[in-house]
Amino acid sequence: MRAGADQAGLNTFQPLLSVDMDIGVFGSNWAYCDRLSSYVARMISHNRTDSLLFANLFSSAINELLETIFRTHSPSGRFTCSVARSGEIDRVRLSLPADAEVKAFYDTALARLTQSDAPEQYRASLFSEGPLDLSIGLFELAVDYDARFSLDLEIPDMLHITADLALDKAKI
Amino acid sequence: MATPQTSFDVVFDENNQEFSIIGAMRPESAAELAGCTALFEQSLRTVRGTLYLNVKRLVRLNNIGFRVLADLLIDACENKPGLKISVITSSVVGWSTRKFGTLSAVNDNIIVEQYDADFYPGQAFVEDDAIISLLRTQTKLTWRHERSMLARHGLKPDMAVADICCGIGDFAVLLQKEFEPGRLVALDHAKPSLDYARQVAKDFGVDGIEYVYGDASEMLLEDDQFDFVTCRHSLQIFDRPELILKELFRICKPGGRVYVTNEKNSHCLGEPRGESIQWTYNEVAKIVAHFNHDIEIGPKSRRLMLDTGFKDVKMESFMVTNMDGDPQDFADIIEAWKNLFAGKMATMRGDDPDFIKRFCQGFDDHIFAALHPKGYAGWPIWVASGQKPL
Repeated sequence: MRAGADQAGLNTFQPLLSVDMDIGVFGSNWAYCDRLSSYVARMISHNRTDSLLFANLFSSAINELLETIFRTHSPSGRFTCSVARSGEIDRVRLSLPADAEVKAFYDTALARLTQSDAPEQYRASLFSEGPLDLSIGLFELAVDYDARFSLDLEIPDMLHITADLALDKAKI
Repeated sequence: MATPQTSFDVVFDENNQEFSIIGAMRPESAAELAGCTALFEQSLRTVRGTLYLNVKRLVRLNNIGFRVLADLLIDACENKPGLKISVITSSVVGWSTRKFGTLSAVNDNIIVEQYDADFYPGQAFVEDDAIISLLRTQTKLTWRHERSMLARHGLKPDMAVADICCGIGDFAVLLQKEFEPGRLVALDHAKPSLDYARQVAKDFGVDGIEYVYGDASEMLLEDDQFDFVTCRHSLQIFDRPELILKELFRICKPGGRVYVTNEKNSHCLGEPRGESIQWTYNEVAKIVAHFNHDIEIGPKSRRLMLDTGFKDVKMESFMVTNMDGDPQDFADIIEAWKNLFAGKMATMRGDDPDFIKRFCQGFDDHIFAALHPKGYAGWPIWVASGQKPL
């Protein structure tokens, strides 16, 4: 597990919603990233300071996570997206089927996010030649949305990635 | 098979050299944006000087979409000597100024501008903290009349309601308490007003109002969402009221109603000293017109609503007077108007001291009439509502 998201405060988080589906279904249609992120953002935004602004930001953030998972996951198993809240922090927890290669991808990506030059790496990726870096969504969350990540690789054939977002007061 | 993300529109306005992208652009691949790319390249051929990229209503954009747009803009600047690109973002969207701002570091000819209160030159007049007490008193006096009128115009409990240009949010609080809507969104483009509104709702223990930041002429609220939409005393302080009405129409459900209130300030009246009062309020209409607003819009509301496409337009008027409760409340409103019109606005227009003195006198006479034991002072307001056709 990589330090970042506040695991110690886990019990203070109240579950808001959880969406569960077969990863094959999720991975069958790119539009599901947009639909799921828009749905989740709308459902959890109504009691934030500015529901519309919050929904925009939350949808943008979670969509990048979902697009990353759309492109990098193992082919069979369950995919779960859940959101819990503690004060200003919304915790997005994504569980996905992951073999060793997939786990290595997320482990490496999250390690890069902790490097001091992560903002420079992110901007260089945005304007680089060739295909987009598959980690760019994670970089965007870390750099622009100040997301705090943690990763649980201990469960066989599965991983949990957790992102804590404090968008209600964000100066995006 | 992936479904292309085509929930956006692209438009090029050749007159303004403005390329606008509206909606959500989250493609799986660059190829899905071929149409957008082709229109941009075609548009670019006609552009001289500065090209404006309007992304004020581009609500969602993924990194694939951003990369396509970034490549287009950078290539355009590199291949067309003398071209400058101004990217116009909106703070309402939240993420876009920062995201597009990265382009300026890549190419000096790309600048990113976040449009703000300057879009409405007169808005600064109504964002002053000193105006808050005036607005509260105005709402207190108008609510005595509107409370019963709203029901006549179709407002019922459990409706989805939006109060657009909600200002300091006091009207929304009254709506919430009196009509118990199923959902109530209150939108304004002044963050200090919204902060105040949230605090007032909290202080009064009123839950359930969604105060949101937004531009009434380009709202990010979705189409056909609300049963009842209110917009009070606001068309008159926008230089393009027809744009606001178009947006109110858009967010209203088919069969729902939009309710607006507006003034005709030159019809403010009082006795004694009626002549002086009338002169001053005629001048109020002129000074407001000088700043491109129409504070005489009240009786024009019916035509504006019909022109927007509303049906079954209902119209009525009422007069707030010094006999609506404490006359001092009425006098306080006039004092605040004096400070606004004969103070800030007259100074900005460059009026001479003799004019300002006479201008002030009419307000003082209106206050005199309001507080006189046998006096009468009035402020007329027009209410109009129209149904969005099914």
